[in-house]
Amino acid sequence: MEWVEVTGRTVDEAKDAALDQLGVDESDAEFEVLEEPKAGLFGRLRAEARVRARVAPTAPRPKVDRRERRRPARGGGRGDRAEKAERSPTPDKVERADKPEKPDRAVARKPVARPADTRGETMSDDPTLAEEGQAATEFLQGLLSVFGRSGQVQADELDEDTVEVSVEGDDLGVLIGPKGQTLAAIQELTRTAVQHRLGGRSGRLLIDISGYRARRRAALEIFTQQVADEVIANGAARALEPMSAADRKVVHDTVNTIVGVATTSEGEEPRRRVVIAPADADD
Amino acid sequence: MSDFGNEADGNQADGNEADFDDEPDGNRVEGGRARAVLHYLATSIVDEPDSVHIEAEERRNGSVDLQLHVAPGDMGRVIGRRGRVAQSIRTIVRAAAASEGGDASVDIVD
Repeated sequence: MEWVEVTGRTVDEAKDAALDQLGVDESDAEFEVLEEPKAGLFGRLRAEARVRARVAPTAPRPKVDRRERRRPARGGGRGDRAEKAERSPTPDKVERADKPEKPDRAVARKPVARPADTRGETMSDDPTLAEEGQAATEFLQGLLSVFGRSGQVQADELDEDTVEVSVEGDDLGVLIGPKGQTLAAIQELTRTAVQHRLGGRSGRLLIDISGYRARRRAALEIFTQQVADEVIANGAARALEPMSAADRKVVHDTVNTIVGVATTSEGEEPRRRVVIAPADADD
Repeated sequence: MSDFGNEADGNQADGNEADFDDEPDGNRVEGGRARAVLHYLATSIVDEPDSVHIEAEERRNGSVDLQLHVAPGDMGRVIGRRGRVAQSIRTIVRAAAASEGGDASVDIVD
């Protein structure tokens, strides 16, 4: 999984933005603080905090073969609980950088064999994507029920580390909310509940309701592509309208597939927005 | 382990929602759907679901003030880092209230 680099007025804000981009819960990410924010005159911000983050690999691998796949195989048994305890409380300056071996981790995973592609036998440790999808499905069924709605909930594994759980039914607009805010909150709580239930998480969990995210994503991808084309043509950066975290992620993801442009985020929630700029040569 | 509810039978039909909504005899429990949703969300993310307790106070304008009590050790879970979880809970609970034409506020108290 690649690193994302984000900025914010504070380190915490930058971390939140990074989590938004990655689409994972805090305990599933690792951070590196690149730069603390610098205060300017009269309380104005002279330089934003810069943070690098990525989805924590389930089984850290040596640098050489990390690029072979988008993400290391899951199920390496890294002793998630112990590790979470170490990093979740107040990770103000947790620097779990790129080092494949940390003493605590090495110890934690000793009893388990090296990863390989052993998805089936991971019960003892990190939950599988299927387990996550199942737990999320049950949570959402219960939520529908207390909301007095009925519908079908289905989990689909989009790729080796992403499961999308979609809810279809009548009259579900209340669960989406203005600009998808309620949906975003439901996704956040589903992740929290699933993590609590399974004692850990290994993949990304996305929630969609009545195809909202899918429609939104398709429209936004087209729009982003158009803006990126303009940026490449003019060589001038463009800031987009403020968007929700989920929408910003779509923009980031789309731009990531286009050569010659890169994204950053700026501003504060709920007015945070993406800037599409010509890509630096060194990236 | 945790209280996810409805695992086997899946979705229930309208009218038979949860512990806190409409009672069989038709008496409406204070807090309505907002309270039921808050209870469900809280019990799904805490270590001690039995300690989840909600007080509801309805206002004349149709909005309801909910006070959520959880075990001391679970406070961090329902608040989350920088209040992310608490904020999400509030958003969903307000949506539940809005679906009945009302509004709700959620206070987390220890």
